[in-house]
Amino acid sequence: MSYLGRRILLFLVTLLLITATTFLITNVLPGDAAIMILGTRSNPVTLAALRVKLGLDQPLVAQYWHWISHLLHGNLGDSLVFKEPIAELLGQKIVASSLLVVMSLLLALIMAVPLGVWSALHRERWQDVAGSGLALAGISLPDFFWGIVLILLFARWLDWLPSSGYASPLDNFPAALKYSLLPAITLALSLMAHLMRMTRSAMLEVLSQDFIRVCRAKGLGQGAIVVRHALRNAITPVLTVAGLQIGYLFGSIVVVESLFNYTGMGWLTYQALLNRDLPLIQATVLMIAAVVMLTNLAVDVIYTIVDPRVRLS
Amino acid sequence: MRPFLTPKGVIGIGLVALFAGVAIAAPFLVPADYATRINILERLQPPSFQHLFGTDQLGRALLWRVMLGAHTSLVIAVAAVVLSIVIGLPIGLAAGYYGRWIDQVLMRIVETLLSFPALVLALTISAVLGPSQNNTILAIGIAFSPYLARIVRGETLRVSALPYIEAARSQGATDRRIILLHVLPNIMAPLIVQATISVAFAILAEAALSFLGLGTQPPTPSWGLMIQSARDYLDLAPWTALVPGFAIAGTVLGLNILGDVLRDVLDPSMALTG
Repeated sequence: MSYLGRRILLFLVTLLLITATTFLITNVLPGDAAIMILGTRSNPVTLAALRVKLGLDQPLVAQYWHWISHLLHGNLGDSLVFKEPIAELLGQKIVASSLLVVMSLLLALIMAVPLGVWSALHRERWQDVAGSGLALAGISLPDFFWGIVLILLFARWLDWLPSSGYASPLDNFPAALKYSLLPAITLALSLMAHLMRMTRSAMLEVLSQDFIRVCRAKGLGQGAIVVRHALRNAITPVLTVAGLQIGYLFGSIVVVESLFNYTGMGWLTYQALLNRDLPLIQATVLMIAAVVMLTNLAVDVIYTIVDPRVRLS
Repeated sequence: MRPFLTPKGVIGIGLVALFAGVAIAAPFLVPADYATRINILERLQPPSFQHLFGTDQLGRALLWRVMLGAHTSLVIAVAAVVLSIVIGLPIGLAAGYYGRWIDQVLMRIVETLLSFPALVLALTISAVLGPSQNNTILAIGIAFSPYLARIVRGETLRVSALPYIEAARSQGATDRRIILLHVLPNIMAPLIVQATISVAFAILAEAALSFLGLGTQPPTPSWGLMIQSARDYLDLAPWTALVPGFAIAGTVLGLNILGDVLRDVLDPSMALTG
């Protein structure tokens, strides 16, 4: 079987396992949906009635089959809190979060790549120490703390950007950018550290190779060597890591979107968890895992196109 | 072996020692009611000689609360990482050592769990179980275990292919003996490095869970909770957010630096490019 075919088959198997895991986490662990909705001190008769209504009196395998067959028809059920079809809710929110994730990835790369190159060129001198220190500080502070500092600085004191809210990029793009800028910077700050260190080590590796010495020998300037030859070779692993970080980003958006009241997937997931809205929890968690898997697959496929050596091994 | 006491090493060890010292001593040093006693007359006081770190919206001294918060963080983070090792180590060892279908099955499960961002998995488990200190440990421990399993598997694969494992097998050593006596000691170095960095991530995860109300519950002092309640008083009293924020930053920075230094010391091959 071709490399791509094998990857896609594996993807489908894992996707099935993801649905099973999502279902198990929300069902097998103590405390069922009826108790989650009504609370532990509720009337046993009401509890039993709700269990029948939600289909919780059926065997687990039957429940899973029921859920997955509806899922395949695109029917995710209704949210218990929002009283709306979940599929519609997800559709709106995924647009919001996609904008946020793309913006934060771009911002992180804009900050991380020059800093990483700078550090690598000044290896083990003060510039490198300062760069690495900045990167370590970036990952050491929780993103919600960065978010609070940014709100304080840009929303409260300087009054440049709104501290909370959301506008759809499909309706009003400039407003959407304004609302997503602070949360995107927040996400980018914690992402940047990792990408900066990756850039630094990839650059160090490339700079130590023979062809760089050849470039120097034939009299190329430092700028041309760094940008045209070294960075071009070093950037592939950095972009790969950036792609793989999308999974990490989808974890962080739960916190950051909630902090900024930015109504995307993360915010929706948090509302589902807070309100114990079981169908919505299952749908959002499944959606996030599927998006993470899909981006990992995409990164893999793109990587084999960019660097055909991967396919051979 | 590279020297331990580089300037970087000293900073890392110093920060971690400070955190661990405060965390362990706090319950003995801080009188029980100091951190929870409400004093409306002294609410939102800025840092001064009387209140070294200022007070929060209920007039509770932030110094005491941040010290007890260190205790909460340490207990939860260390317990969660130990739990993730208890789950992840046997899975990684079995997958890496036995290979074949055992590896295939175990790694498929691990990869499935890795598709859920750790924080999302931890939040979900905590929400389903109902937030409490023990469930926070359980949630973070389970969420971190697939990462550990994957690293242990990789290292076990590397070690299992070395000649001395074959030598042990040719002498008739059982699998159990080889795993416990020959494989395990030789994967300890990366395991220790990973555990150190995991404690840093667990502290961040606990803070995030508590910040969202799905971790440590009030009135137990927790850094994440302190930042959560500081949100409404940012203009009036920014120190209520900055004090726990810097506590988290210092601790996590220290653990990250220590992890870096440990990697340089224990595994010099990584240090060349890292």
